[in-house]
Amino acid sequence: MRSLPTPPVSRRAFLGATAALGLGGFANPAAAAELKKSQKRVLVIFLSGGVSQLETWDPKPNTDTGGPFKAIPTSVAGTHISELLPHTAKQAHRLAIVRGLNSGSDDHGIGQKIMLTGRKMEPGIDYPHIGAVAAKLLASDQSALPGHIQILPKGGSGFTGGDATFLGPRFASVSLGDGKPPADILRPTGLPADADAAREAFRQKLNARFAKSRKSAATEAYSESYTQAERVVRQAAVFDVSKEDPRVAERYGRHDFGRHLLLARRLLEAGVTYVKVSHSNYDTHHENFDFHIEQLGEFDRPFAALLDDLSDRGMLDSTLVVVMSEMGRTPRINDRYGRDHWSKAWSVCLAGAGIKGGVVVGKTNATGTAVTDGQVSSGHLFHTYLRAVGLDSTKNFYPDARPVPVADPKAAAIPEVLA
Amino acid sequence: MLGHTRSFAAVTILSLSGLAPAADPFPARIDRHIAAGVPDFKRKAAPLATDEEFLRRAYLDLAGTTPTVAELHEFSNDLAKDRRAKLIDKLLAAPGYARRMAWHFDVMLMERRPDAKVPRAAWETYLHSAFEKNTPYDAFVRDLLSNDGGDPKTRAAAKFLLDRDLEPHLVTKDIGRVFLGRNMQCAQCHDHPAVDTYKQAEYYGIQAFLNRSFLFPNAKAATAVIAEKAEGDVTFTSVFDKNKLTHTTTPRLPGGKPLVEPKAEKGKEYTVAPAKDVKPVPTFSRRARLAAAVTGPENPAFARNIVNRMWAMLMGRGLVHPLDWDHVDNPASHPALLDELTAEFVKHKYDLKWLVRELALTDTYQRSSEMPAGLDDAGEDRYLVAILKPLTPEQFAYATMQATGLTDAERAALGVKGTPAQLDARLAARLAPFRKILGGKAGEADDDFSATLDQTLFLKYGTAVRGMLPPRGGNLTARLGAISNPDAVADELFAAVLTRRPTADERADVGDTLKAASDRQSALNELVWALVASAEFRFNH
Repeated sequence: MRSLPTPPVSRRAFLGATAALGLGGFANPAAAAELKKSQKRVLVIFLSGGVSQLETWDPKPNTDTGGPFKAIPTSVAGTHISELLPHTAKQAHRLAIVRGLNSGSDDHGIGQKIMLTGRKMEPGIDYPHIGAVAAKLLASDQSALPGHIQILPKGGSGFTGGDATFLGPRFASVSLGDGKPPADILRPTGLPADADAAREAFRQKLNARFAKSRKSAATEAYSESYTQAERVVRQAAVFDVSKEDPRVAERYGRHDFGRHLLLARRLLEAGVTYVKVSHSNYDTHHENFDFHIEQLGEFDRPFAALLDDLSDRGMLDSTLVVVMSEMGRTPRINDRYGRDHWSKAWSVCLAGAGIKGGVVVGKTNATGTAVTDGQVSSGHLFHTYLRAVGLDSTKNFYPDARPVPVADPKAAAIPEVLA
Repeated sequence: MLGHTRSFAAVTILSLSGLAPAADPFPARIDRHIAAGVPDFKRKAAPLATDEEFLRRAYLDLAGTTPTVAELHEFSNDLAKDRRAKLIDKLLAAPGYARRMAWHFDVMLMERRPDAKVPRAAWETYLHSAFEKNTPYDAFVRDLLSNDGGDPKTRAAAKFLLDRDLEPHLVTKDIGRVFLGRNMQCAQCHDHPAVDTYKQAEYYGIQAFLNRSFLFPNAKAATAVIAEKAEGDVTFTSVFDKNKLTHTTTPRLPGGKPLVEPKAEKGKEYTVAPAKDVKPVPTFSRRARLAAAVTGPENPAFARNIVNRMWAMLMGRGLVHPLDWDHVDNPASHPALLDELTAEFVKHKYDLKWLVRELALTDTYQRSSEMPAGLDDAGEDRYLVAILKPLTPEQFAYATMQATGLTDAERAALGVKGTPAQLDARLAARLAPFRKILGGKAGEADDDFSATLDQTLFLKYGTAVRGMLPPRGGNLTARLGAISNPDAVADELFAAVLTRRPTADERADVGDTLKAASDRQSALNELVWALVASAEFRFNH
């Protein structure tokens, strides 16, 4: 980055003397409560491949596009969702369903970018993902853990590095493949704790001496990075879902997505600002209906369990929850009982911080082929996310002294879903 | 005095080459430019670095690694007044120079992009050879921009274009950034709003050299070569233009003359006409003119840019900063100096080794990085004190291998018949994790230092570093294990890893650590780690 520092945009709660967070818990229960109350977090559940809005949030039973499933009543009178989401239906009073989304691309990669950056593709600029923006604007200085984490269905852990763009690598996502902890987070077996402490002390002494005569932002950042890493290492148990109360773990389920969603809750509870959990694979060009039974079967119960869990822990009011995909699926059913890519009329679901529960916004026509009321873009949603967590979505970033609006200036938050 | 002896040596060399004004060596002229940049420079500036500091710095910058304990002792015991100049010449003549320059230019040219159409080994061999031969830089770049990748023996030279898939906007932007020092990315869509001289027409003037070129048979083929059509023009519209007027331009570098393109006789546009599965060859090639235009005398930005980049490599900051932000509203910190460096470089026929040598001989390069008392807010661009440079991933890997003595152990394992190339092959095999974790993001200049969580965990607990700690075959921890006197342990430890003597406090700390240790060897191993993990090791100071 070149010159002007980014002007402050966030309203950071002053947390006082929150101590280094201890293993599996908090050093100071009062501080923990304060952290939970004032710090906002974001959880994105990304149903990867393009989830069918007709099999989830906007069913059209008994039409030639509706497929075989029924619509079921929910905990909100007059609101129906797909019968494939029975547990989620009982949570509808906490949910805001947006049915008028027209996102502009039915390509997996471009669609994902559009949905995560809240922007259409533009030449000459790469916008940061919502995770990087949230990590930058919401993260507390007291949090030891990285502010932007994504849990992927498989792969190793790593550092993606790309999704923060001009906000810088500090806010880029740390990837946890199959929910495994970051690489090298556990102290190696050949290194006992006292030896680790002794060498840390020696390293710090060397750095203190060096800093007396040679100091730069870079050397300070480097020296400090070990202290920060040590705080993450001390919280390594957060990454271990087997440490969870088994009764709670049972409600999420023992399957991959359940474990990953549980891990997300643990991370958010420990102070991580943004977690994205991906669930694969919704790209149902053939056997759309069977695959959605399976996939949503994996999604439905843990999602409901998560909302209850967040609520039980007093975290629901401070955690924005978003269920999204890169696009929806065609109302037209193809000759392999599949639905294809579709961005013109589909849905996302919101809950938690700043969101008005029990609300449905936007309408599609009888067969779901067009939005008839309340059409929105990913830009509107992006504004909504930021407003929901208490941020001013009309401000600018200033990479290279060039003003870049935090959210698409042509859009605005969706008032009906905001509490 | 060191200065007097040094300038005598420099004068001798310059007179032999027939190029020099006799009594005013270039390094001294460079230093005078720098001194002129601050009133009372001599009083404010830091003194020269100590011999040990200079030794480590020169080894890292010119050989890509740190000195052995023997090399440290040899230099410390050398009383010759021109020992620093002799060291510079020794390092420039040694194999480490080509290796270090190959690393630097790999990152400058390819910015850690994944290897797609030219394998890494072929590319590294190509770069290494260019710097072994000290190929003049203009010839080197002409090769890079004119090779079509068709001859397997020389294909590696085409990597700059091939591994960018010849994507028109990407290659336009990167030719501007890497060879002209201008990031004109914004000019893709409109005249740059902040920089008067970065115009959209100039952006497309560069693109026009390549707009007729394409990858044959297609962009996905791993063995694709660069082909070219005989027709096609760039068109552009400014997003700021309400009337959406369409413009075009012939090939033209910024500030340069438009390419003169002969009108093709009908039917004679191609020497090999396009046909199915046939690579067309146009009678007149725009791309063939690109190399000459970029490196020719009518494009002064070319020499200016590489001089600026070499200055930055050694000094830690470009005279124009950032390196790809050269324009009239971002003047060089020392404009007359940059002009003189550029002129001399051209006079010396784009000889990079000559340039590196002249810069390394300056006081500016050899100045201490220790902040003098009371000089808190000296701007980096005044060069009153040397700038701290983070080690590149390659330097860090090789310095760690040298410091831990893995290099010594590998050399011993190869035995008397082992060649430097064989040794280097074993060391280079360990580079990948360091590059992956410590290297910058693919496709971006490695501008800003970062210390992210994954990097720190890699250094803290990762096996790439830890694997070098246990004692083996003459490495550092093996040598330390055989030393009983703790002060002697401290001396060998600090000499090997930090290229200096320990202070009395540090000797005491080592002694205390060893005394308290239940497992002496493990404690020694972790002491080595602590020094490798220190900021002092991580940075070239």
